[in-house]
Amino acid sequence: MLAFATDLFIQRTFDGLAKGSIYALLALALVVVFRGSGQLNFAQGEMALFCAFFAQTLTLSGLPVVLAIVAAALSGFVMGAGVERFLIRPIEKKSPIAVVVVAVGLFLGLNNLVAVIWGVDARRMPSPFPNEADDFIRIGGAAVRLERLGIIAVLLLLVALLWLMFNRTRIGLAMRAVANNQPSSQLVGIRVGRVLAIGWGLAGAIGAIGASLLAPQAGLSGAMMFGPFIFAAAAATVGGLDSPVGAVVAGLALGLIDAYIVGYLTWIGGDLVLPVTFGIILAVLVLKPSGLLGSVRVERV
Amino acid sequence: MLTVEGLRAGYGPVEVLHGLDFTVGDGEIVVILGANGAGKTTTIRAVSGTVARRGTVLFEGRDIASASPDAVVRAGVAQVPQGRGTFTDLSVEDNLMAGAYVRSGPVKDDLDRWYSTFPILAERRHQKAGSLSGGEQQMLAIARAFMSRPRLLLCDEPSLGLAPLITQDLFRVLQTLNRDLGTAILLVEQNANLALRIAQRAHVLETGSIVISGDAAQLADDDAVKAAYLGM
Repeated sequence: MLAFATDLFIQRTFDGLAKGSIYALLALALVVVFRGSGQLNFAQGEMALFCAFFAQTLTLSGLPVVLAIVAAALSGFVMGAGVERFLIRPIEKKSPIAVVVVAVGLFLGLNNLVAVIWGVDARRMPSPFPNEADDFIRIGGAAVRLERLGIIAVLLLLVALLWLMFNRTRIGLAMRAVANNQPSSQLVGIRVGRVLAIGWGLAGAIGAIGASLLAPQAGLSGAMMFGPFIFAAAAATVGGLDSPVGAVVAGLALGLIDAYIVGYLTWIGGDLVLPVTFGIILAVLVLKPSGLLGSVRVERV
Repeated sequence: MLTVEGLRAGYGPVEVLHGLDFTVGDGEIVVILGANGAGKTTTIRAVSGTVARRGTVLFEGRDIASASPDAVVRAGVAQVPQGRGTFTDLSVEDNLMAGAYVRSGPVKDDLDRWYSTFPILAERRHQKAGSLSGGEQQMLAIARAFMSRPRLLLCDEPSLGLAPLITQDLFRVLQTLNRDLGTAILLVEQNANLALRIAQRAHVLETGSIVISGDAAQLADDDAVKAAYLGM
C-alpha cells in the first residue's frame, strides 16, 4: 500500500476545482437559459467557443487578454440575446420541439463557422493569469498553479455577482418571476420577451468567459468545447437544471471526480473517465430525479 | 374610465366573445356575472390584452385594444387573475415587489400599507408564496395588483376555491379598497349574491354575449332574472 501523499492530493484537488470551475460556468449558462425558457441550449458550448476565438483574435491585435475576454463576454451577451430574439422566440411559438432542432443546427453551424473563419488548426490563447512554469504558490506542501486559483476565483466572483443580480436588482427579480410564472409576469407589467433575451445574453457572456479561461490550457480548437459541454450539461442536470447553486456544486464535483479518477484510479485510465463519471451521474439521478438541488414543485391550491 | 365597444375575443379559430359593450365609470364597481363557459375570464383577458381581441377598449380616453399586456399594466390597469397567479417560488415580499415592477421610485410606503391591510402577509413576508393558504394567496394577489397603483382593477373570480366566510371577507376588503382608494373594479364572478352586494352595476353574460344589464341592486331584487340567469 502506498502512503497517502497529502501534497499530491491537494494539487489534484485544485486541478479538479479549476476544471470543475469551467464546467460550473458553462452549467450556470445552461441553467440561466433553462430557468427562463425551459430549454437546454445545445449550442451553448459552441457559442462560447466562437467568443473565445474572437477573444484570441483580439489579443493578436495587441489587446490585453483581460480586455479581450471582457469583449468576448460582451459579444457572447449580444450573440445570446440575438439567438433568443431572432431564432428561438419566433420558432418557439410555433413548435417548442423545433427549438431543439434549431439549437442543434446552431451548434453545427457555429462549429463550421469557426473552422471557416479561423481554420482547423489549434490556436494558442494567452492566459489572463500568470502561467509561466514557476507561477505557483505552495499550499500544504503542494505546488498550486496561479492559473488554477485564478479560474476558481473568477467562478466565485461571477457566482457572487449573479447572486447579487438575481436577489438585489429589479431585472433579477423579473428574471426570477419569469422563471416561476410567465403569464403572471406579463400581468405585473414585465416584458417577458426582453427578460428572456437578457437571460440568454447573460448565459452567452458567462459561457464566453468559461471558454476563454479554458482555451489557454486546452488549446483553442473546434473540438475544445465538446467534452466540457457534456460535463456541463451533466452538471446542470445533476444540479437540478433550475438551480444555479446546484449547477456550480455539481460542476465542481464533476471536476474533482474527474481529477481523482485520473489521479488515483489509474487502472481506469483517462479514456474511461467519461463513462465512469456518467455512471455516477446516473446513480444520482436514479436516487434523486429532480437533481441534487432542483426544486420539486409543491403547490397548494 | 373604461369603455368597451364591440369587443370580440377568442382562442385560435374559436370566438368566445361576440361583441360586448360595457363601461366602467370612475371609482365604480361593475360586475359581470355568468355561468361556467359564458366568457367571463375571456372578458377580463380581452381587456388586459392576454388574449387575441378586436374591437374598442378605451381606457381613460386611450385605445388599449392593441396594447401588449405589460403596456396595459403601465397604463394603469392591474389584474388579479383566476387561480391567483402568485409567484409560488418567490417570497411574499418578492411577489409584492414584482407587483411594483412598473413603478419607478421607492415603494416602501406601499409595502407597509399592504402589510397593514393584510397583517398575515407581513408575518409571512419571507415565506414562499406557494406555502400560503388559498385565502392568503388571494390577499397576496390583490395586494400585488395594487402595488402598481392601478386606477382600474380587473378581478377574475376571486371567490374561486375559497370557503364562504373567507370569500365574504375578501369582498368586504375589495369594497373598502374601492371606497378608500377610489380604484375602479371590474369584477367577474359566479357568486352573484355577494358580487351584486358590492357592485353598482352588473351585466349578465351568456355564451359570449351580454343578455342583461342594469343596476346591481335592481338585478339582485329581480326574481325572474335571478331564476333564469343567476341560479338563485
